[in-house]
Amino acid sequence: MKRRDVLKTAGIAGILTAGQFPLIKGVFAQDRYGKYRGTTLVLSIPAHSQYDAMTKLIPEFTAETGIKVELDKLAIPRMKDKQLLEMAKPQGDYDLASYVVMWKSEYVKKNLIVELEPYFKNPALADPNYDMGDIVKGYLENLGLVGGRKGYLPGPNAKLYGLPYGAETSVLAYRKDIFEKHGLKPPTDYTEFQKLLAPIKAKEGIGALTSRGQAGHQCVHAWLLHLNPLGGEVFDENWNLTFNKQQGIDALTFLKEVVDTGPVGIPAFGQGEMNNTFLQGQAAMYLDSTLIMGIVNDTSKSKIAGKVGYALHPKGVKHASQSGGLGLCIPRNAKNKEAAFLMMQWLTSKAQDIKVVQAGGGPTRMSTINNADILKQFPDFAVLKDALKYVDPDWRPIIAEWDEINIQALGVGVSEALTGKKTPKQALDDLVPKITGIMQKGGYLKA
Amino acid sequence: MNAKPTQKASKTAPQVYQYFALTLLALFCVGPILVMLATSFKTQAQTFNVGLSFFFAPTLENYRDVLQGNNFSRYLINSLIVGVVATVITLVLGTMAAYGLARFTFPARKTFAYTSLLLRTVPLAVLAVPVFMLWNATGLVNSLGGLILLYVAVNLPFTLWLLYGFVLQLPIELEESAAIDGCGPVETFFRIVVPLLRPGLAAAAIFTFRIAWNEFILALVLTDRSTRTLPVAASLFITDMGVDWGKVMALASLIALPPLIVTLLAAKQFIAGLTAGAVKS
Amino acid sequence: MRHARSTPWIFIAPAALLMAAGCLLPVLAAVRLGFFDWSMGTPWSEAKWVGISAFVDAIKDPAVWRSLWTTLKFAFVSVSIEMVLGIVLALVLERSVRGTTFFRTLFVLPMMIAPIAVGLTWRYLFDSQFGLVNAVLGAFSIAPKGWLADETLAFAAIIISDIWQWTPFVFIMVMAGLAGVDSSVVEAARIDGASTRQIITKVKLPMIAHVLAITLVMRLIDAFRVLEVIYILTFGGPGDSTEVLSLHIYKTAFIGQKLGAASAISVLLLIVVAGLSYMALRLSNPLRDPVAR
Repeated sequence: MKRRDVLKTAGIAGILTAGQFPLIKGVFAQDRYGKYRGTTLVLSIPAHSQYDAMTKLIPEFTAETGIKVELDKLAIPRMKDKQLLEMAKPQGDYDLASYVVMWKSEYVKKNLIVELEPYFKNPALADPNYDMGDIVKGYLENLGLVGGRKGYLPGPNAKLYGLPYGAETSVLAYRKDIFEKHGLKPPTDYTEFQKLLAPIKAKEGIGALTSRGQAGHQCVHAWLLHLNPLGGEVFDENWNLTFNKQQGIDALTFLKEVVDTGPVGIPAFGQGEMNNTFLQGQAAMYLDSTLIMGIVNDTSKSKIAGKVGYALHPKGVKHASQSGGLGLCIPRNAKNKEAAFLMMQWLTSKAQDIKVVQAGGGPTRMSTINNADILKQFPDFAVLKDALKYVDPDWRPIIAEWDEINIQALGVGVSEALTGKKTPKQALDDLVPKITGIMQKGGYLKA
Repeated sequence: MNAKPTQKASKTAPQVYQYFALTLLALFCVGPILVMLATSFKTQAQTFNVGLSFFFAPTLENYRDVLQGNNFSRYLINSLIVGVVATVITLVLGTMAAYGLARFTFPARKTFAYTSLLLRTVPLAVLAVPVFMLWNATGLVNSLGGLILLYVAVNLPFTLWLLYGFVLQLPIELEESAAIDGCGPVETFFRIVVPLLRPGLAAAAIFTFRIAWNEFILALVLTDRSTRTLPVAASLFITDMGVDWGKVMALASLIALPPLIVTLLAAKQFIAGLTAGAVKS
Repeated sequence: MRHARSTPWIFIAPAALLMAAGCLLPVLAAVRLGFFDWSMGTPWSEAKWVGISAFVDAIKDPAVWRSLWTTLKFAFVSVSIEMVLGIVLALVLERSVRGTTFFRTLFVLPMMIAPIAVGLTWRYLFDSQFGLVNAVLGAFSIAPKGWLADETLAFAAIIISDIWQWTPFVFIMVMAGLAGVDSSVVEAARIDGASTRQIITKVKLPMIAHVLAITLVMRLIDAFRVLEVIYILTFGGPGDSTEVLSLHIYKTAFIGQKLGAASAISVLLLIVVAGLSYMALRLSNPLRDPVAR
């Protein structure tokens, strides 16, 4: 793969091999935390299964390091408002913040978060056994790097601003019992995929594929899931608008068919409603975050425990699984940056990655996915391991303006197509003036 | 209420219909409130089963989780402080200003009156951005004081005009005789006027408390993890990963409870305040 | 009353100061902010003076006009229905029976519930999978509907929740007005042979016209300020079918991060609301027309 070569020349190559720093093991391991004993860190975290699992690890962290932790848990959209408000002050409340991948460029552009390389190079702080190369590469590049190619991809000038924690990719989950009953096979490509939709609804009387569809970033997420494998993209290399080309229209037409053959009400579904229809047995398939693997067998939420199989995200003209999820960063105006780094390093270490998975979170490291005990406990990780090969780092354009384009432009247009107010083509074409305006204002396109 | 002699004759039959209509209406009004309460006693699995809307084995688990988790007591105390302090300040200042406006002439009287009438209609959404900016600049952001100041300011115009109507209804002779007895204007106000305004004050209190206790959008912007109020905490239960209906309804029920109790206790004053100024009675 | 020159200010000044600091000043600041390009999360020193371009953009932006139209539609439809329902109910239930006070207490309850609770409860009731509304429709063999997933139905949903919360207000105002109608006038009309309908349209309603007008304007002003319930119930979707102007301002500020642009749109909303207040003052100016006695 070419990406590996790019990475070698990248500025982060040094930190990727930080594990080989000639440090005297033991000395620093003890000293690292000593200085920060009694410090209290404030974490900004989302209401999210990964961070619910993390919460269970915190007592151990405090016992081991003497660093106390306070959590501020918010719903994801509110979390961003609050972080921006806090990080704009001279000194903010948060020492360590979780962020959605889409926000990374904006945070860096507004100079709100710090680069991590100096910390990893500081022998007083860095853990010699950290082994950054073990972190799933797609996750690390996608969540952590800013400043490379296109601004958000790996490249010579890319710098590391965050670490993946709660990263995810897409996977197809399907009801084994229903597929067996009708002699169906999980789809491998989009042609097979589409052929399944209407028949399942007709035969089984429940939705074929559930999906997100709520106006705003939810419906755009659903559309991007199909856009990338079908070979489309939002912008080309020169930031020209390409989302309304044929691939974009095809992806939206497909999504509209998903809505029509899915459970009632998809255009109002967020991720929670989507998960819930699948878990309550009102849809036969699910195509979205790997997070579902952690919930399917929880019988307090799920009626379909033990009935679910997994397959790769079907192939369109290419394989392109989602890249996204959450990461951890340190605000520039944090009171205790060094202690925050230590906690970040501790949470993403090999040992804790295994523990967070056991507590209901998702894996971030290859060593966790390959761990024999973990594989025994979560046999479905075999599919996850395959899916990680197809993580598309350019799954969505993570420029600073993305949130506005995502929520206030595409999020409205895609929704209008899903409710049938506009045809897919019309809905996308109508967005061109607004998005062109945003891209001109951001200096990507000439006015 | 006035008895209406002509309607007495045909009393029995239509009265049944009237009760029927009243009951139907009451059900429509109270129904959603009952759904909220019922849902708060359901397990998560039960909340997804519409067949169990009203008949199910209730659980107190949601209340236990809400009361024990997520800093509930901190948020409750914040809410109480904001609700009570904002209401008290609004009432004191509002009554004084209403009295000043009703009983005195002074140079800027008209300017003051019309400005406050206009401020009464300012949408809260308009205030969010500038208040955030100003509070940030003055250090009021994230403090309970900042939130209280805002709620007092947005409630004062309404309270002022509500009580203005009540002051006008008071016989001025009482105040005049107090003045003859040697009471200064301030003393007259507190000794004679305030006690007579009690019904109006009750209505104004309910209105102010309603906003200060219930509001969550400005509170969301202006508070942080230590100054958050209960409605803000409730809004945080709506996550991308779905809504935990049992818990959020338990919290919503707890938030709804104090205003409901106040209303049940003081419905008469509330209705009197609502209709005062608009209705000659 | 004779008084020292400073006396009125002892009563007025504290309230005037707080209103100026907490409400008037922010409104003026909003107008000023409209001239700046300021992104959330950046210091104020980085804000750029852009003149009236944000106002021009706001006026040119079809999304602003759509949300203004949605607001107008919402206000018009919900307030009309509330007025008609409230008046009809008040006329039907005008006669006081035993227990009236009890029923009236029940009717004011919806007004007191926190918007967050109202929004959540209706969102639960309208859920396409497990909502009571679809279950009731199902009992009449009507297929389940995606209430919040359809432009028209979602708009209906926000109207229904508003009607639920605010029809009681109209009802109570009209009841109070009717209670003030002199029964001898009604009696005289009846003796002159007027039918019940004539008594209502020719006698009762004209006599409470003042109350009706004030109720209407108060509801309209509130309908233009509505934000919280819609924020919870639909957050403006699907598409932007329920995105009222207040919500559009909120989204521009806190999602688009454009604080200046949001302020410019705020000024637009202020103008609309100021127009309504002017109407309200024309109908009843508490300063000129001290009716409340």
